[in-house]
Amino acid sequence: MKIFIMPPNSLILFDLVERFGHEPLSLMKALRDRVTSNEIEAPPLNVTVDDVKLGLKYAGIEIPSGIRGRLAIYGPLIDQAEAAIFMEDAPYSFGCVGCQRTNELAKLLVRKRKVPILSLDYPSNEDEAKDMVVRVKEFLEGLK
Amino acid sequence: MDSNIETRLIFIAPTSDLTPDRIARFVHNLGNEVTVKETCYGVVLQGPRDAVKRTLDEVRKMDPNRIFSKIRAFPMGDLRRCRAHHGSRPGFAQLEKEWKDLCLVEQGLICVEKGEKPPAPKKRQKIPVNDLKKLIDEVSP
Repeated sequence: MKIFIMPPNSLILFDLVERFGHEPLSLMKALRDRVTSNEIEAPPLNVTVDDVKLGLKYAGIEIPSGIRGRLAIYGPLIDQAEAAIFMEDAPYSFGCVGCQRTNELAKLLVRKRKVPILSLDYPSNEDEAKDMVVRVKEFLEGLK
Repeated sequence: MDSNIETRLIFIAPTSDLTPDRIARFVHNLGNEVTVKETCYGVVLQGPRDAVKRTLDEVRKMDPNRIFSKIRAFPMGDLRRCRAHHGSRPGFAQLEKEWKDLCLVEQGLICVEKGEKPPAPKKRQKIPVNDLKKLIDEVSP
């Protein structure tokens, strides 16, 4: 099954979903097509003008273009999702998932689709990590 | 670029005895049609999707619970990202954070492997107001 992961570029979630036999819907795969096309040449731009227009399907015109641009990438992934795993307390201040509003809106869009969702916290010690991995495994096995 | 080409990052957990060099040599010896590049956290593989998948499966057998992987959007050595060409690497801080957590995830995978029931984790609580006041006083007396 296709599993939407949040943060969508998470190494831990991507690996676990794949390890337990499902297909993770990740940001990397969505960006792959964009960055290998000739339209995007200068970092940190990973979206085109058309993407921002496409984002209107997922976010209103009054929403900042940064959020709309991000949702133009997340949105089609959310549309394909058959289940989702959210990891809360992500280090949002780092990396390219640095937009908390986008993440909130993306989670709302997933919830609206009424697909099975597993919400977890980033583990901070061994007990939490064990609990997290076991819950992910049980959730993914339950989907089959 | 050919859509069948995949770029994959392979991470070695901090607790593993493996080195990026050993994995790179191992991949070369496999003779699959993939390009391999050593990095500080592991290796980057690039090649046809099937060959990359086969290589990953073989590499994972070296240390199943301590080798992690995800795909990468930018191709290997892309001028916009490659440090050799002064490319920016905006996602690296997140990778670094998750790489540090891999030793915790490893414990989770061992737990699953053994079929153990995990101990109930302690519920996270908000910092008490008095402790917060003490912190504020320490910083700005």
